[in-house]
Amino acid sequence: MLANGKIRLTVAYLVKPNFPMTNFSTHNPLAAAHYADAARQYAVTVQENVPLARDTYRLRLHCPDLACQILPGQFLMVRLAGSDDPMLGRPFALYDTVLGPTGRPVGIDVVYLVIGKMTGRLAQCEPGSRLTLWGPLGNGFSTEPVEHLVMVAGGIGQTPFLALGRQFTGQRVYGQRRRSESPAARVTLCYGVRSESYLAGVSEFQQAGIEVRISSDDGSVGRHGLVTEVLEEVLAEPPAATQSSSPPPTLRAIACCGPEPMLQSVARMAHQHQVPCQVSLETPMACGIGICFSCVVRVVQPDGSWDYKRTCVDGPVFDAEKIAWE
Amino acid sequence: MADGNSNHGNSNQADLPCSSPVDLSVTLGRLQLKNPVLVASGTFGYAREMESLVDLSRLGGILPKTITAEPRAGNAPWRTVETASGMLNAIGLDNDGIEAFLANHLPYLASLDSSLIVSIAGRTQQEFVSLLAQLSEQEAIDGVELNISCPNVSGGVDFGTDPALCERLVTVCRQACCLPIIAKLTPNVTSIPQMAKAAEAGGCDVISLINTCQGMAIDWRRRRPLLGNVMGGLSGPAIKPIALRAVYQAAQATRTPIIGIGGIATLDDVMEFFVAGASAVQLGTVNFYNPAGSMTILDGLPAALAEAGASRVADVVGTLETR
Repeated sequence: MLANGKIRLTVAYLVKPNFPMTNFSTHNPLAAAHYADAARQYAVTVQENVPLARDTYRLRLHCPDLACQILPGQFLMVRLAGSDDPMLGRPFALYDTVLGPTGRPVGIDVVYLVIGKMTGRLAQCEPGSRLTLWGPLGNGFSTEPVEHLVMVAGGIGQTPFLALGRQFTGQRVYGQRRRSESPAARVTLCYGVRSESYLAGVSEFQQAGIEVRISSDDGSVGRHGLVTEVLEEVLAEPPAATQSSSPPPTLRAIACCGPEPMLQSVARMAHQHQVPCQVSLETPMACGIGICFSCVVRVVQPDGSWDYKRTCVDGPVFDAEKIAWE
Repeated sequence: MADGNSNHGNSNQADLPCSSPVDLSVTLGRLQLKNPVLVASGTFGYAREMESLVDLSRLGGILPKTITAEPRAGNAPWRTVETASGMLNAIGLDNDGIEAFLANHLPYLASLDSSLIVSIAGRTQQEFVSLLAQLSEQEAIDGVELNISCPNVSGGVDFGTDPALCERLVTVCRQACCLPIIAKLTPNVTSIPQMAKAAEAGGCDVISLINTCQGMAIDWRRRRPLLGNVMGGLSGPAIKPIALRAVYQAAQATRTPIIGIGGIATLDDVMEFFVAGASAVQLGTVNFYNPAGSMTILDGLPAALAEAGASRVADVVGTLETR
């Protein structure tokens, strides 16, 4: 696509031929991996809005239709009902679904950090408050079987990983998918925070059978340092203490979400260790459904050049090798 | 499309509280639409993205994202920033070019039971003409909108700000194809009446206005612009008063039918544009933050027209009383 004025980027990484990402449809006319083909707009009620950590809340919304469909790594757009301030919706990853008395999903949990006007106003929402939302949106994480899933979170980037971890430990099923026949032998969360006060949901992760390894910038909890140092330790260990009887072809895979410098470091480490790595990106987003073309990221094309792709419909989860990092 | 989905609102007019039937169809020059509620180019993707959120067949018309002769990567991020009651964008006409549009998007758009108006942009008169030559061969296309008003690209903007260039471009486009032509005007000019008259003199069937208002957002601590392109176009409810004024001025200055655009988000907004002089409207930014908003407006439109004593849209168009 060099003839169209797009800039060639030299890609230093070699793309591994056996990368186990789902091979998304290539004939989608939108040139997107997914589009919002299941998304609906809903008026919903806040069930709970509880603090989990410093400036961090878990919002529980009643929305059975969405809860039955949404997958780990997918997201929804949320807006205050009846208010145009802020005007645009904000994207929130699925934290987990909430099961009703019959065991069917009836609600959605999202976890958010108060960082601006919308999250500030969300934090003041009482149970019974009305919100507008639309979803499910985006592609979600790969479900390819793996012996050891390593999830790497920077700060509030932990939000997609409770559901993903539960899916891989075999504890929960999401959407219309069947229960995994070969759960991962080991699921690890490497979780980096600024300080202990921001640590959210650790007991939930542990109850889900997820091993949690923590680092903090100030040393107040876990390893004093970067989450990538924790990841380096984990990658030096054997994938699983006791391997499953018929280990899947992929021994170890990384899923990562957090600030871009962290994603870039993790992608580099994954490449060095020959471990497949998916990154979930956060880019400024206006619509979440692919119509505004705001949330673009540079994605490597088959010819080695790059093109801007929409995070909301081509992602938010990408093969780390496909991102042309700035 | 799921039947009875509440997202799609109530399309059964018999249930609506209006005593006499209201005719929603509108005629804008050679362009006939089943209703006056369209979706604006650049705010609706290629329509397919919206198919689960909106009953596309209910829309009066769909304008897919502007296409250009060659693929365009668009501008570097950030491309949008929210501002008070609005947003700035500097997407930069990111699109895969006309060939990809015809191959990948037109078949789907053609299958919809809604008028299809294709928005095009060119840097030169010749680019417009060659785009029109390719489009006029397509039976599924009901009209074209000349995007001579995008603030986020270099080249082609002069057509929207220089009256002589505007008139000549519309004349040439009118000669180049037999499709109804809409000229989409920018508010970033000294005189709306002058530009509207120029587009009319060139022979356009319809004038649509406004495109976005040029604006900026700054992070003063970093002393950096928030948009990758430094400047962008402001849209959303913040610009509605500007758009109403522009529609009113264009309606006073010309006899050409007008499509009002600019911050329209509610049924009241739509009715205000009719009264100001628009014969139809395009919904833009609202699609981003209330994807099903067009359906809500269509649900209420017959009753609002009936309340105004109108049996058809034309009965309220340009009925503003200024004294």
